Amino acid sequence: MSQKAADIYKVALVGNPNVGKSVIFGLLTGKYVTVSNYPGTTVEVSKGICKGLDGSVEIVDTPGANSLIPLSEDERVARDMLLEEYDKHIVQVMDAKNLRRGLLITTQIAEMGLPVVLVLNMWDELLDRGMNIDIVALQKIVNVPVIKAIATHRIGVSALLGAIPSAKVPNLSIDYGILIEEGISKIEKVLTMDARIHKRALAIMLLSRDEALEDNLRNKLTHETLVEIQDIRDDIQKHFSNPLSYVINIKRASFVDKLTKKVSIAHIQKKETHPLIRGVFFYFLVPLVSFLVGYKLMALIMYLISAGFQTSDVFSLAVSLIAGGISASYFSSSVYLKNRKAKLTISEILGSITMHPLAAFPILIIILWIVYKLVGEFGAGTCVDFFENKIFGNSLNPSGGFDIALSIPFIQKSYHVLHVDFQGFNYYLGLLTQKVISKDNIIFELFFNEQSGLIQVGLTYAIAIVFPIVGFFFLAFGIMEDSGYLPRLAVMVDKVFKQIGLNGKAILPMVLGLGCDTMATLTTRILNTKKERIIATLLLALAIPCSAQLGVIAGVLGRISGIYFALYAFIICTQLLFVGYLSSKVLPGDPSDFLMELPPFRMPKLSNIFIKTFYRVHWFLKEAVPLFMIGTLALFIATKLGVLSFVEKMGAPVIKNFLGLPVETTHGFILGFLRRDYGAVSIFDTLQEKGGDAGIDPKQLLVSLVVITLFIPCLANFFVMIKEQGAKNAFLMFAFILPYSILIGGILRIILQQF
Amino acid sequence: MADTYQEEILELIWTIEEENDKVDKDVLLKKVDIPDAERHIKALVEESYIIITNKKVQLTKKGRVDARLIIRRHRLAERLLHDVLEVKEDTMDSSACKFEHFLDEEVTASICTLLGHPVSCPHGKAIPSGDCCEKANKEIRPVVMPLTELRSGDEARISYIVTKYHQRLDKLSSMGLVPGVQIRLHQRQPTYVIQMGETQIALDSAIAQSIYVRLV
Repeated sequence: MSQKAADIYKVALVGNPNVGKSVIFGLLTGKYVTVSNYPGTTVEVSKGICKGLDGSVEIVDTPGANSLIPLSEDERVARDMLLEEYDKHIVQVMDAKNLRRGLLITTQIAEMGLPVVLVLNMWDELLDRGMNIDIVALQKIVNVPVIKAIATHRIGVSALLGAIPSAKVPNLSIDYGILIEEGISKIEKVLTMDARIHKRALAIMLLSRDEALEDNLRNKLTHETLVEIQDIRDDIQKHFSNPLSYVINIKRASFVDKLTKKVSIAHIQKKETHPLIRGVFFYFLVPLVSFLVGYKLMALIMYLISAGFQTSDVFSLAVSLIAGGISASYFSSSVYLKNRKAKLTISEILGSITMHPLAAFPILIIILWIVYKLVGEFGAGTCVDFFENKIFGNSLNPSGGFDIALSIPFIQKSYHVLHVDFQGFNYYLGLLTQKVISKDNIIFELFFNEQSGLIQVGLTYAIAIVFPIVGFFFLAFGIMEDSGYLPRLAVMVDKVFKQIGLNGKAILPMVLGLGCDTMATLTTRILNTKKERIIATLLLALAIPCSAQLGVIAGVLGRISGIYFALYAFIICTQLLFVGYLSSKVLPGDPSDFLMELPPFRMPKLSNIFIKTFYRVHWFLKEAVPLFMIGTLALFIATKLGVLSFVEKMGAPVIKNFLGLPVETTHGFILGFLRRDYGAVSIFDTLQEKGGDAGIDPKQLLVSLVVITLFIPCLANFFVMIKEQGAKNAFLMFAFILPYSILIGGILRIILQQF
Repeated sequence: MADTYQEEILELIWTIEEENDKVDKDVLLKKVDIPDAERHIKALVEESYIIITNKKVQLTKKGRVDARLIIRRHRLAERLLHDVLEVKEDTMDSSACKFEHFLDEEVTASICTLLGHPVSCPHGKAIPSGDCCEKANKEIRPVVMPLTELRSGDEARISYIVTKYHQRLDKLSSMGLVPGVQIRLHQRQPTYVIQMGETQIALDSAIAQSIYVRLV
């Protein structure tokens, strides 16, 4: 072969969900795809150029598939790619500890007659579990190159690169029994068109009633031929009580079972954790963490009910300590007892605890609390404050600079290091611009207007406010995802979500929505049915506050009293469930099955999480910042044309008479369409002003914050809704949410007046 | 053996007693809707199914055994008509009355087994248990059962999968969940989680219900 490899073939990565295809793709191309431990995240095909092979070989990553006879959108994408009209070498990635499931796909590739290299990834986890595979035997039977790999540690990549050119068609053929084999050969005969893959594979897909393939063939075959194929299939189906696809799958499974048994090496010693680490885990970590969980949980409860009755500090401390003690003894003893029964590894224990029907809820609450501390308080509070006021600042007033100080925890001492005399980007930019034009000029206002300037509001908002919040949120989200916590959360919420027309899978967009609803709306694609996608999109727009907004709301309400924050959370959750329940009844369509693979609980690799966070933030800035700019521009134009004050006038009677809020808050609600948190802040400021010395009226505050949360989503989110659901559905949702949020606010006001 | 009319009377006595009432002969005569009731009651006394003292009617031991079987047949028939054949309420009542007289022991036991040894009739009254129920109780669990019947930690082998959704069947089998595969039920709440080899799979109760397994 003197010709360059690039002219001959492309490389396609294929495999079950969650086996590390995307990591291997990244290693082969140097390109990064968002690697996720949550099944179904790669929906689109990524392409890249393979480094290290002779010439430039194109390589494509496909969504994970359990079968190449597709049952879902992502499986169809993967299969269609293999049908495409060019020569290809396949790299099939499998989870070495789930050899059997990987081989199910290998047999399908063999039927297609495509050359393949098998990569047995996660080899370390295979050995850890006391299993082993006879690679030599496997290679001999299947007759293709087989590579051991640990992709996250870059082991096996060069061997894979070397093996790709010598990929071979696997030597596996399954006998499906006389009846089906006859059908296969009959269909093979009528398939007269050219095909890149073996017609046997096409015939098997057609017998399995592969509708997507039938659609594909419609323009290649005559109508008569298609009818003939149907007749052949119906004829065979008569002899079986189960659908043919199932009969075929069972034959395939039993073939693969035999093969797997041949190459699996009987149990060797399961790797055990070092006794010292085990001891620390059981006698120190578990009691300590569970004590903190109980203590913190009780402290939170005490805080939330603090408005109800007055408690002394000593009393609450005592109660919290007791709760901690109970939690510590309960958890430690149950974890210890469970472990004595079965020798489980630490990650297995953690994996089960996080979806234990009882234990999992306190853990969930504490995790949410930690995420809130990180994202809501540190990200949305400290960082945003610093970025917005000090780094960006104001175009007209200097920020006054900031101090760098070294503070030592516990002894409350801090040493002043230096004062940075930096007055904020916007201030300097404003000064610079004023050299050319006056600050009353409309061009100056376009960029630096306090309420709708492109730089003063649009850019500052996107980078100074959203960036730190979203950045920290994605960091927390990445840890939840990579450790395998998120899929376990899906297990926890499945029953509740079934009531609102979704299933456990929808936890991914919902949790992501607490970071950024715009991004979450994009991930509703992973849901199975159109109905589920619509419900999830609606609920995200209605009842899931994004981290920017939640940060402000929690801060504002938390300062007033715990009970109001508890009330707020209760109302929003009730609305989420109520509207979800209603739409699940109103919208046509069946609920879809919840069937999900749970990846093992793993210690996440920090470097992977940082890379992932970096790419997500990068994506966010690329996608969202232009939308913020467009939105700000729209707001600026609306202000200048007087549209805004017109809308304010229109809305004022409703706000004043129905919601019982000062007329001035109308402005805040309109701002909420652009920036959710700014709307909340603006309303808070107005209420505080109106309250004067008497202080803010907590009932008014609660009503306004509930309304602004339920209120129409921000502009960026709205654009994405149009993109994903079409303009008609997006506007329908808009038309529902707007009056509904005000209605709920009005009802809440009337109820609150009774007390 | 009591004849059809006598059976009706025995049945009526049982139901009145069930409501915690003493059975008065005059009330019985008023309620029972058969010709020549007086004569049938007399016959029952003669064959010592019942005793009458001071107009108070009581079942003897022999009468109680027979009445119990009649009630059992009647209420099982109601269940069958109501649950399986889905006939209307009024038709159910009149048909069940006929069923109780011609069902023999063996057929009754089969119906009882088919219905899963129900304990109450559609009206909420107790169905007296038969031998088949005792037996079923002793064996605790049937050999092949839906996955939902397993306790967590149980190891089982999949026997078959029953569902009307082809999609579900295909999805399960393409994941490798096919008859013959050994699984372990990891947990039942909040959602079913099973362990198959090194894979953990979460599934909802609708799917779990359609997977039938045999303990190993």
